[in-house]
Parts: sequence; C-alpha cells; structure tokens
Amino acid sequence: MKKTQTDVLPAEGGPGDGPLLAVDDLHVEFHTRAGVVRAVNGVSYTVNPGETLAVLGESGSGKSVTAQAIMGILDMPPAVIPKGQIRFKGTDLLKLSEEARTQVRGQRIAMIFQDALSALNPVFTVGWQISEMFRVHRGMSKSDAMKKAVELMDRVRIPAAKQRVNDYPHQFSGGMRQRIMIAMSIALDPEVLIADEPTTALDVTVQAQIMELLAELQRESQMGLILITHDLGVVADVADKIAVMYGGRIVEHAPVYDIYKAPAHPYTKGLLDSIPRVDQKGQELYAIKGLPPNLLNLPKGCAFHPRCPFRQDNCQTDAPPLYEISGTRGSACHYWREVLDGERQ
Amino acid sequence: MASGSEAILQVRDLVKHFPLTQGILFKKQVGAIKAVDGVSFDLHKGETLGIVGESGCGKSTLAKLLMALERPTSGSVLINGRDIAKARGAELKRMRRNIQMVMQDPYTSLNPRMTVGDIVGEPFEIHTEVAPKGDRRKKVQELLEVVGLNPDHINRYPHQFSGGQRQRIGIARGLALQPEIIVCDEPVSALDVSIQAQVVNLLERLQNEFGLAYIFIAHDLSVVRHISDRVGVMYLGKFVELGKDAEIYDRPAHPYTQALLSAVPVPDPEGREQRERIILQGDPPSPANPPSGCRFRTRCWKAQEICAEEEPLLQIRPGIGHESACHFAETHDVVHAG
Repeated sequence: MKKTQTDVLPAEGGPGDGPLLAVDDLHVEFHTRAGVVRAVNGVSYTVNPGETLAVLGESGSGKSVTAQAIMGILDMPPAVIPKGQIRFKGTDLLKLSEEARTQVRGQRIAMIFQDALSALNPVFTVGWQISEMFRVHRGMSKSDAMKKAVELMDRVRIPAAKQRVNDYPHQFSGGMRQRIMIAMSIALDPEVLIADEPTTALDVTVQAQIMELLAELQRESQMGLILITHDLGVVADVADKIAVMYGGRIVEHAPVYDIYKAPAHPYTKGLLDSIPRVDQKGQELYAIKGLPPNLLNLPKGCAFHPRCPFRQDNCQTDAPPLYEISGTRGSACHYWREVLDGERQ
Repeated sequence: MASGSEAILQVRDLVKHFPLTQGILFKKQVGAIKAVDGVSFDLHKGETLGIVGESGCGKSTLAKLLMALERPTSGSVLINGRDIAKARGAELKRMRRNIQMVMQDPYTSLNPRMTVGDIVGEPFEIHTEVAPKGDRRKKVQELLEVVGLNPDHINRYPHQFSGGQRQRIGIARGLALQPEIIVCDEPVSALDVSIQAQVVNLLERLQNEFGLAYIFIAHDLSVVRHISDRVGVMYLGKFVELGKDAEIYDRPAHPYTQALLSAVPVPDPEGREQRERIILQGDPPSPANPPSGCRFRTRCWKAQEICAEEEPLLQIRPGIGHESACHFAETHDVVHAG
C-alpha cells in the first residue's frame, strides 16, 4: 500500500454512531494470467455490536474474499480493490496506512479460519502461539503472556489448560484445535470477529459445542460476529440477519426469520428447497440446475439467470439492482415479488 | 425399496484392530486401535443402509473391510453367501466385481493424468470378460450418459470438470462392472450445497434403475435419512443403534443417537430458543483404549455402575421396536420442525 493514507485510528471504547462495521460497494478483482477474476462485485453489508451476520454462499461466491479484504490479508497483487469502502466505526480501513492497519488487524477485528490444523503453526506449542498475541501487541513478558494464554484456554474450556499449554497442535483433536483458534482470535478483545466456516471440518456434536462457545463469548463482550458459512442449519440457529452471496454479489439480505419463511431471491429459494425434508422421502429432491458461475466469465445480466426457474428475457441482459423490499430487506431479482409469493415446494 | 428377499451382504462380528507397535528392529505390539470392534448387519437387494457417526468411529474402516481393501482381524463379510474376507486370488477378483465404491473426495480420487474414458474404462482392463476390447469405448460412453455427463467428453481430463461432475465420473466408474452393491463413503460432503441434491437424486435414480444396494456412509444426517431405508449409528467401532430410518430419527432409543440428532442444526429459525439440545461434553475416547463396559458411558448422562461393568448388547429391548445397545434405552420422541 502507498503511504498517502491517513493514520487516524477508529475511536476506542463506546459504540459511537452508525454501524460498527460497514462494507460499502466493495469490489475485489484478481489479475491472473487467465484474465481478470471478478471475485467481489459491489458487496455492501453492516454489522452492529452484539449482532450476528451470516454470510451464506457456495465456494467461489466471494464470501471469504470479502472477509479477507476486511482483515486486510489479501495478497495485493494479484488482488486489486478498484472500488468500495470498509468503514470500521466510520473510518475507511482501505485508506489506512499499513502500520495503522496492523493496529486494527487482530486487535480490533479478528478472524477464525476454517481449517485449524493448517492455520496453526505445527512447530510451536499452542501456548506460544496464543501468548504471541500478548507479546507482540501488548509487549508482555514471556511468562506473563504464558499466564494469559492459560487463562484464555480456560475461557474457551480446554480441559487441563495448565498441563496442555505446552502441547503442540497435532496433540489436540479437531474441536480442541478450533477452540485454540478461537482463544487466539478473542485474546485482545476484538470488537468484530469474523468466523470463516468455523465448524465445517468438525462433527455435528463438536459443532454444537463450538457454536455454543461463540454465542457465549459474544454475549459477554458484545462483539459483532460475521459468520461465513454454507450451512443453512447453522445459520438458522445463530444468525440475526443473513446476506446471501452468489457470483460475487449479495443477492438477498434479510433478517433471519423472514428469509426462512419466504425467500425473495430464486437462489435462496432453491437452496432452501433442496434441503431434504422428512415428508419428501423417496421423492426426488429439488435441485438447482446447472453449475455455479465461472468468475472469469460471469453470465451477462443477472449472474444466476442460466440456473433460474423465474427467468425472463430481460434477466439475460439487465443486471438487477438490489431492490429494497422493506427497510431491512433487499433482493437482487427483477421478479422478487413472484418469488416472494411462490409457495415453498 | 427394501424387499423381503434374502440378504446379498451379511456382515458377522466383524473386527479390525490395527496393531500399535514399538521399536524399530524388534517390533513388539504394545496395543491396538480397535477401529471396528464387532459389527453385524444384513443388506438386502435394492436396499440402502445408512451409516452415521462421528469421525474416528470406524465408518471408513468398515467400508474398506467390505471392499476387502483391509483384511479383518476376525469375523466375516458374506457376499451372496461367500466370504470375501477369506477369498484370495482369482476368487477375490471375481467377488470384487460385485461390490464397488464411490469415494469421498472427487478431487483426489481421480487420476489427473488419465482421461475420463480411461478412468471409467479402467475396471474393464482388470475384468476383461465384462467388455471385450473393441466394445469398451461405447460402454464407457453409455456409462457417462447414464450418470448425466456428455458422452463426447470422453477424452477430457478430470480438471476440466466441476466437483459435482467429477463425482459423477466416480459414480460411473463404480457402475462399470454392474455390481449389486455400491459402498458410498461420504459421496456428497465435498460438494457445494446446490450440487449435493443433484448427486443424491442421481444415486436414487440409479438404484431404482439397476436394483443397486447401497451402503451410504455420511455425516450429514438429513441426507442419510432421505436416501436410507435403514440406518446404523456407530460409536467407537460398534453399532449402538440399528433400525428403520423413521425409528432412528423419530424414536431414537440410545442416548448417543439422541445427542447426535439434537446437535444437528435445524434449517428453520422458528422456535430456536426453545429447542431442546443435548450438548455432549468432550471428545470421543481413544479407540486404542475404549472405556470398559459401554463405550459411551464416559459422555453419557444416564451412566450408572452397570454401564462400566457390563457391555450392553445390540438387541431388541422391551418397548422399542428396533435394536439398540444401551442398558437404559428408552425411546425419545423427536419433534421435527418444518
């Protein structure tokens, strides 16, 4: 990044005005040899303190790239952010200098990665890795930082934390490793926590434990939580509001109850309809036809039109804007009224 | 789908222990990972048996034993009355024709240097009697068509296909030898949500068309319920409960099954605060050193002294219509949302 940016950090303490974090018309492109991959094409969402936003989408929908842009961990190049803002308490993070950005990353906005085994360093003990947060950011001594690491491991309920603090990542089970990741992410009391598929690699029984732990930590500290997932069940359980992504855009956003009761975008509707339900046994499942789009060559008009049962002629040429349905709801479909009225199969 | 016909696959007291050794020159056995420890079930023609359980419970080892990719420590796997676990050489090769496998990860289970035609046609190289040489290309194209792929893509390589299409290639390879049984080890878990339903539909259509019997191993409980006629729940190398899909899902009797089902998030936010949820503490114990008596007792809220002393057998218990392995089994009505 260039040094022309400001060094003014977002205000500490109280929530202040407006949303905690606002992503506004964000675009991210990857310039590759094969061409320009448009991974994120105008994404906007907001998170408030204590709120859980679920970002739902398939692989390649741009949900993780958006998160990486917020964290400032995209490799640039090949990534380019031609347009958009990421405002954290009113300050545009994209305009901050790299030093100022480092102050935010990990301390104010933290992230939990999907695969805890590859996100942890195999050659350092977990205690060392957790306490690194305190040594680097808070300048603590080794022994003080280690004490804090044990406290954190207790807080995320790793049994016998004192004995296990000197163990290596491979000595822990998948669920325990994910707890260590969570311990690292909450070490410095971040105001926003981004969880990128935190339970995808885990069994359902362990998933339930981890989601409960996250909910509890959120209640204690009033963090804003961005939960990135493709699991409609997890979303229904914990989210306050949902943003559904497809082809690098948000195609629908709504409070959680509304979206499950009556989706307003054909893609959301298709996803909900393809969940196997008890009364459908022995029948064919509803399946969204076709394949997810190629980001190198997005379809013209609405990116979903080749797979859409509600498609009309203008969908192939006019990209739908995000129509406002109500103050809290929007859908990027020309025919959202028809979708909304349509009975769920 | 399940018929009253006799079982084409009978598994009896199947055990697989992997030895734990110490020392380099003089290896001595210091213990064993009890991956599969006494599993018995029948599979009928055209039936689907779903197997669910946490990772490390022995599901995949069980699949390998059925395919004779691993030799069991004891017990038998009878396919049409003959034991594949004891078969050798030409007999084993003949028996393998009848049981095929679809792997979990379509990205690593296909050789990137082989064309789709070579991958799907490879079984014919080994079992030359199924398709004579001049006939193979046509056969492969037929198979591609059956699984919903374009037969003209026979010369393409795996990387030119999406995940869902690759899984179809894997299924076509499994079908090539016209087996009666297909073992599906997590066939949809690596796929995107919108693609999973397509592959599940394909598997169901093929079952109806060819009268296939499936062993369907998965951790997505709603998919397992959709496709299975019967479901077995595994914990630390043993079945803890086995019954028809409705019996397991609506009236589970084993505490582990109840906990497992309650942990599955319901895709409907309505009433989420009131939902009853059993959250198990901790992780499953190590299969190298399973607890005495009932293996689930260390995480069970019903555990009493007898659970540590006496191992509960998988059997039909009073008041319950299906087999369960718990001293204190009682059915528990699950109210589904939606």
